[in-house]
Amino acid sequence: MSAAKAKMREKKMRNQPASVQYPSPSHVESRAENGGEGDDAGSRTTLSISSGTSVTRAELTRILGGQSDAHPSWKRQQTPPVRHGWVRGHHNGDGGYDTEMPNHITAGAFARARAAEVSAMLKAATELTCSSHVFRALPKHMRRRAMSHNTKRLPRRLRNVANRMREKSLQAGLKKKKELVKSKSRKARRRHGNLLLEFNRRQRKNIWLETHIWHAKRFHMVKKWGYCLGVRPTYKCYRPCYRAMSSHCLLQDLSYYCCIELKGEEDKLLAALTQLTCKEAGPTFAAAMFLSGARQGSVTVYRAGQYPSDPLGPVTFLWRPQTPGLTPRQLWIWAHPALKQDLLPELQSVCQCSEAMAPPVEPEVSRAEADPSPQAEPNPDNELKAGAKRKRCCKDAGEPPAKRILGDGTRLPTSPVTWRSSSTGIVINDLTMEIVRYRLIGPQSHSVLAETLEAATVCDELKSSPFWWPEHCKDRSNMKLHQQQTDVFNVLKGIYSSGELPPGTVLGLTVDDPRLTLPRQKVKAAPCVNRDQVGDEEKRNQLMLKGVPLQCCQSFLWEQSVRENVTDNKISEQELNRMRTELLVPGSRLGPGPQQGRVPVLLVHQPGKQVGDELGSWGSGWDLLLPKGWGMAFWVPLVYRGVRVAGLHMSLKHSQDKAAPHFPHDYPDCPAGSRFQEEQEAEFLETFRRRPPAKRTNYIKHGCLAPFRCPWQQLAEEWELLATDGGAERKGDGQTQKARKSHEVMEEVTSQQTVAAASPPSFTVLSFLGHKFHKLNCIFLSAHQNRKSLRLLSSWCRPLTCRGQRRGRGAAVALPLSDSAVTSFHSAHKMSVVWVRLTLLSKGKPEAHAMVCAPTAEDLKLFGKSPENCGPQEPPHKDHYKSRINHKKKSSKTATPSQVSDDPTASTDPHSPSDLILGLWPDPLPSVTSHCSRVTLGWVTQGDFSLSVGRGEALGFVSVSGLLHTLLRQPPELRGTLLLRNPTSLHYRFVRLNIDV
Amino acid sequence: MVRVKSRYLLCEINVSDRRDLLKLDDRAVAGSVKAAVARTHGDYGAALCSIRFCVKYLNAHTGIVFLRFHKGFYKLLWSALPFITSIECRGQIIPCFLNCLHVGGTIRTCQKFLIRYNTRQLHQMLPKYKNKGNEEKRKIQEAILSCSLTGGGNKALEDELESEEEDDEFIMPLYHSDLRH
Repeated sequence: MSAAKAKMREKKMRNQPASVQYPSPSHVESRAENGGEGDDAGSRTTLSISSGTSVTRAELTRILGGQSDAHPSWKRQQTPPVRHGWVRGHHNGDGGYDTEMPNHITAGAFARARAAEVSAMLKAATELTCSSHVFRALPKHMRRRAMSHNTKRLPRRLRNVANRMREKSLQAGLKKKKELVKSKSRKARRRHGNLLLEFNRRQRKNIWLETHIWHAKRFHMVKKWGYCLGVRPTYKCYRPCYRAMSSHCLLQDLSYYCCIELKGEEDKLLAALTQLTCKEAGPTFAAAMFLSGARQGSVTVYRAGQYPSDPLGPVTFLWRPQTPGLTPRQLWIWAHPALKQDLLPELQSVCQCSEAMAPPVEPEVSRAEADPSPQAEPNPDNELKAGAKRKRCCKDAGEPPAKRILGDGTRLPTSPVTWRSSSTGIVINDLTMEIVRYRLIGPQSHSVLAETLEAATVCDELKSSPFWWPEHCKDRSNMKLHQQQTDVFNVLKGIYSSGELPPGTVLGLTVDDPRLTLPRQKVKAAPCVNRDQVGDEEKRNQLMLKGVPLQCCQSFLWEQSVRENVTDNKISEQELNRMRTELLVPGSRLGPGPQQGRVPVLLVHQPGKQVGDELGSWGSGWDLLLPKGWGMAFWVPLVYRGVRVAGLHMSLKHSQDKAAPHFPHDYPDCPAGSRFQEEQEAEFLETFRRRPPAKRTNYIKHGCLAPFRCPWQQLAEEWELLATDGGAERKGDGQTQKARKSHEVMEEVTSQQTVAAASPPSFTVLSFLGHKFHKLNCIFLSAHQNRKSLRLLSSWCRPLTCRGQRRGRGAAVALPLSDSAVTSFHSAHKMSVVWVRLTLLSKGKPEAHAMVCAPTAEDLKLFGKSPENCGPQEPPHKDHYKSRINHKKKSSKTATPSQVSDDPTASTDPHSPSDLILGLWPDPLPSVTSHCSRVTLGWVTQGDFSLSVGRGEALGFVSVSGLLHTLLRQPPELRGTLLLRNPTSLHYRFVRLNIDV
Repeated sequence: MVRVKSRYLLCEINVSDRRDLLKLDDRAVAGSVKAAVARTHGDYGAALCSIRFCVKYLNAHTGIVFLRFHKGFYKLLWSALPFITSIECRGQIIPCFLNCLHVGGTIRTCQKFLIRYNTRQLHQMLPKYKNKGNEEKRKIQEAILSCSLTGGGNKALEDELESEEEDDEFIMPLYHSDLRH
């Protein structure tokens, strides 16, 4: 036994009674071991070999020895042994006890022995062993919770001991623990000014939307594109959100979308902007409908003059309606923040706006460069402001400002937001975070708006005031316009669904502060149903057919001065509540006085599903545009009307149900899209590598070459080669033959690559595949691009009905699918992939990066027999890399690194085993088209079980040449039937291909 | 609450010859208990007796023994104790029998019982003392005083311990033994 252990045991046994006996040393050892597992035994004082025994004896002698004079024999017997290792049998000299022990019992000895035992037992029973805590001495009914933490819960007589023990344990803890930085108390931290300072500090990196605090309490937040955005609520609401979208109203904060304002002469603006777009892809900036300002348009923007190869991304735009007095036109381009960094330089170069104008420095701002919010400056003085408020402002001048940041908090106050062109006179203004944009999706979104907003009440005050509205009220024409807008808004209440309106309709409006009409409790906005008046019916029809009349699209939101005035003169929540308390009848509604703000807003209709035959105008709604600073004032009243609030996740699902590509997920050709893809791949790879190798999916065995990305470029190139080579011998080309063929082709590809790398790059030149950041040369055809050819392709994909007629809208324009037509189409669209929607015909849930494959003739035959057939299986592949990884592991274990490099197989191996990941194909990939038993046509970019269709639905791209190639071989009644296989599965499922135009 | 539970038997070893008491040691006692159990309950009993059985305390002057048994089957083992007629210790056979005084759930309750038992014996002893010799009587008085001089503080604690006893103690009919003179 170690010394420390012995010491501990001795300490523990200090107060325990001694077992009075005479054990042999060997026995003592065994007892000691026994005692080790025991709890609080009594007899273990005898353990420390001879000294322990001697102590025992000494004690006993002390107890009994008082009477030693009366019994000298006892004393002799009890004399502690001098020798080390006391053994009873070797107790030489005395010759045993039996002679010493008297045969009779004397009362005194009897009593003494009992008394000694009693005192020993008493000591053992009353005093505690050292290891136990004080309150073990307490009976159970006196024990209290957290007694060891708070000694005051102990009876007073035990407190001292407990305190001592507690200090001891605390000191032991302190040695390890690092001293924490002492922060302010919670109360101090939560004080309003300090809280604002803290918020401002946290907003320095990522922009917070105005509804950030509201969202942060309820949503999972992510930092994306320089913003803090809510992804999905913390509560479960996937289906409720879908229900809200399809039957009521779903609310999203889209303020993170960037607005870029262009001002200038109309023809000069159009001349600059036409370089970015092309008429082929649909209406552009110059379309008459949009140019008037009555509709909002959307367009895909390309790099200047590069159509159709270098897209930037989709934008929506809105022209300001022409006012008679104003010649320069105003245009707002709304773009996704991921797109802004590409779009803004392009716009600057197109408009030749290189002169950066210094931001307008207000006189008050000059004193504090560090002020993070030059936009939100104190209000101009007026007599209405309370004196206390002014005092606060004066105090603020000396201190660091603790003001709410409105607008972009990350931007330096000195960085330019305005650029002017000296030659064309165009001014580009970056209005990021200057305008709040809320999106309401759903058929009842107009009723929500109608309940929340109330057209501004006219105030006829004659004296001049700092507010913009009384000034405007003086103008007769303004009032007339306001009346018209109010009428249209009232008519809007009566329509049945938001989808009935012409897409992109714009309505300008001036409304009262919605906080005044805030309901006490959450209510669900119901559609207005009084349809009795005949005149209203006519007006409604007019509105549904023609949209909002042009003059009503005008709004004062376009005016920067009005926007600033409205932002500055917003009544604070506190002030509003104070006014509420001063009401004569508590709980009655606050009347709109002159000092309460009138807010110019812009309502923009958002079209729903526009492509495809089924579920037309699903997911339509309204966008609400507000001046900054008023975000929460409108948000809470909207939420109180029973809308659901959703985050980024739901907007992805929204576009998925609309079968529309979502930016930046489904724009792999755009720079933002390719950036997104790289991020996504890294993220997926990270999660994949985090799993233990035995638990990972082995994608090689599943025959999935790229489970985390889609090598579009390689796909397009391979199909190009297949189409050009296979064109001659197309007839009777079995799939197996083709697969073999494609292997040969692949070799050609690799040989061509080396050539291509040397030759100067042109449009069709293959870029080096192994290079990660290659530029995509293939063209992504989607609904925003070449519509005519898409329509043709779409008609080809549809199966023939029994009468041999094609269904649908494309019937009139359709050319019959033939070799010649395909060749001509193919020559027009080389290296293209096309946006398709795939509907599963049986069960199954498609996932992202699932493969779209062409079925073989046998598959189709099987499918023709029983359409419920689940689909063929892919034979499992072999993982050749696994052995190499294992080999590498083994060799690294046994051999030194130098020996490994000497290994001939390792040196010839193109990829060193170190970057091999178990279950993933290393770069460069083999032929992606012919890797599996079914030829791959493309990949899915997003797929899920669609609640609107009731089946699995996937959206993705397929190669045009591959698609044509497949369609030609399919029997006409089964045309457009393809196979889909998830990356983690070997099961192919039949899908119907749709190209929605 | 959460622990391995045991029963502690407080037994008294009665020997015919008082001098034999000092020859005892705990291993011998344990061995004889094991042998008795094996004899009465066979291999099964012997196996049970090897689980957590231990002689916790042995006072060779008074012949008091604490035996620890596993709670699950202590009754079976206890039933074997009356069959012990002798303890073999280092080749010497000491005729004796075991008298169980108390069964407790913890060693503390046994200790406390022992305190009570011994003091009662002493208190009973004093008035019964008939001899003229004042020497012995004085010694008894001294002994009584020495074991009851525990101080007021301990008295209070003792009361608490008494109340605690109610939870822990396994109350059994006790085998009272008369004082042997």
